[in-house]
Amino acid sequence: MPSLATKPPSSLRADHATGVDSLQLFRRWQRDGDGVAREELVRRHMPLVRRLARRYGRSAEPFEDLLQVASLGLLKALDRYDADRGHPFVAFAVPTILGEMRRYFRDSGWSVHVPRGAQERALKVRDAQERLSNKRGRAPTVHQLAEYLELDAEDVIDALQALQAYETFSLDAPRAGGDGEAISYGDSLGRDDEHYELVELDVTLSAVLGYIQPRERAILHMRFVEDLTQTEIADRVGISQMQVSRLLRRSLDQLRTLTHAG
Amino acid sequence: MAEIPNVRLSLSNRPENVLVVRQALTGVADSLGLDAIETNDLNTAVTEACNNVVLHAYAGEEGPLEVDVYALADGLAVAVRDRGSGIRLRPPERDSDDVRSGIGVPVINALSRHAEFKDLDGGGTEVRMEFAASKATALERLDGNGRGSVGGARTQCASTVELSVAPTALARAVLPRVLSVLAARAHFSTDRISDVQLVADLLAASAFESISGSHLDVGVMMAPRNLELRIGSLRAGHGESLVAAGAEGLAPVIERLTDARRVARADSGETLELTLVDRR
Repeated sequence: MPSLATKPPSSLRADHATGVDSLQLFRRWQRDGDGVAREELVRRHMPLVRRLARRYGRSAEPFEDLLQVASLGLLKALDRYDADRGHPFVAFAVPTILGEMRRYFRDSGWSVHVPRGAQERALKVRDAQERLSNKRGRAPTVHQLAEYLELDAEDVIDALQALQAYETFSLDAPRAGGDGEAISYGDSLGRDDEHYELVELDVTLSAVLGYIQPRERAILHMRFVEDLTQTEIADRVGISQMQVSRLLRRSLDQLRTLTHAG
Repeated sequence: MAEIPNVRLSLSNRPENVLVVRQALTGVADSLGLDAIETNDLNTAVTEACNNVVLHAYAGEEGPLEVDVYALADGLAVAVRDRGSGIRLRPPERDSDDVRSGIGVPVINALSRHAEFKDLDGGGTEVRMEFAASKATALERLDGNGRGSVGGARTQCASTVELSVAPTALARAVLPRVLSVLAARAHFSTDRISDVQLVADLLAASAFESISGSHLDVGVMMAPRNLELRIGSLRAGHGESLVAAGAEGLAPVIERLTDARRVARADSGETLELTLVDRR
C-alpha cells in the first residue's frame, strides 16, 4: 500500500492546487483525472483520516497500520463522492473511512480475539508493574506505569482490566526475567496441605472454605487474616500482583456463591 | 411505560470524565455480549457525543454531563445530555473546507443504528444513539412498576461522580470498572486499585438485597489517595449488615478492605459511606 501519510505534494504542484476550493478539485480529479488535484485533496483530508484512525481504533492495532487502512478509505471516498448531490464531502468520507477500518478489523478476526496490540500491551504493563514494584518496594500508580511505558493512562487501565479478566489470555506465560518454568503455587508455598482458617472473619465462611482450592485459601488467609498487601503476597507466592488480584476475585466470588447457596 | 435507564452516570464535563464513561460502556458491552467491533463502535460514537459536551456545551465553563444507558432486546441505547446553552452537535456544513469541524455527527451517524439530536426544555441538548448487538444477552427487564427509579441529576463538582445501575448483572460489570478508573485518578497504586475492584465486586453482588429502590446508587468523591463511596438508598438496618466485622458472609471482607465505614440515617432508610485510602 502506498504510504500516503508520509508523502507531501511537491511545492511546484501544490502551487496550482492549494487555494482552489475542494469542489473544483473534485471536478478536476473525477472528470479530468487530474492527479495533482487528487493529491491536494488527499493532503487536505489527511487530518480527518488521522483523527478517525486515532479515535476509532484506539488501543487496537499499531497506529501506522490503522492509518494505512483509513487512508485507503479516503481514496475510495475521493473516487466515489458525488459533489453534485449536495452533501458535504466530510459527511460522505467519514462513513466510508470507518467502513474500511471496520472491514479490516472483521477480516483480521479482531471481533473474536483479544487484539494483538492490546495483548502485547497488557503483558508489558504486567512486566513493568513487577519491575517498578521490585525497585520501589511498593506497587506503582497508573500514572507511573503510563509514564514508564509511554502509554496513555487509559491504555494502562484497559491493560489492567484485561489482566483482571479471568481467562482473557494466558497470564501464566513465563514473565520477563523468569527462569522460563512457572513455579506452581504448591511448590512455592511448600505447605499447601496446611489448613488455612478464616475463622477470624466469619463462621459461615469457614464452613465453605473446604470447597476453595488450597492455594486460593492460602492467598485469602494472607490478605484477610495476615493483612498482607497484594504485592507482598505476590512476592511470597512468586506470582504477579495481578494474578493475586485475579485469584482473590475468583475465590471471593466462589465464597459468595457458596455462602449464598448454603 | 416510562423508560428507565439501566445505567445513569452524572458527572462534570471535565475531559478526564470521558474515560469514566468509556469504562462504564465497556462494562455494559461486556455484560450484554457485544463483540470487540461493536464495543469499539459504541465507544467511539459516545466519545464524540461526550467530547462535544466537554468542549462546547458550557462555553469553557464546567457543567453537568449525563449519560443514560438502556439495555434493549437486541442492543442498547445511550443518551448523552448537557444542560448548557453552547454549540450543539451539527452536521458539517456544505462547502466547508475545514475538516476539523463537524466530524462528530457523521461519526455518530455512521456507527449507530439510529441517532437523534434534540434540544431539551429548560436548556441543554441530548444525543440519543442506538446500537445493535449481534448476539445480545437479555437482561432482566426494568419496568415502571413503581419500584423502578433512577437517581436524578445531582449537583456536580469536579471531583464527584454519581452512578446508578440495575440490575445486578450490569452492576457487576460496570461498578468495578468505574471505581478502578476513579481510583487510578486518585493516584492509587495498582495494588490498592485491585482492592477497590474487590470492594466493587462485593457491593455489586450483594447490595441489591439491601437497597430500597430498583437501582444501586453509588456516589464517589475523589481526593489524592482517598476515595469516599456513598451507597444508597439502603433499607433501614442494612448498611451495617453489608460491612460489619461480625456480620454474615463476605461483609467482614469489605470491612478489611476499607479504611472507614459509616452508616448515615436518612428519612427513607440509610446510606452507607465507605472510605478507601492508599497509605503507601
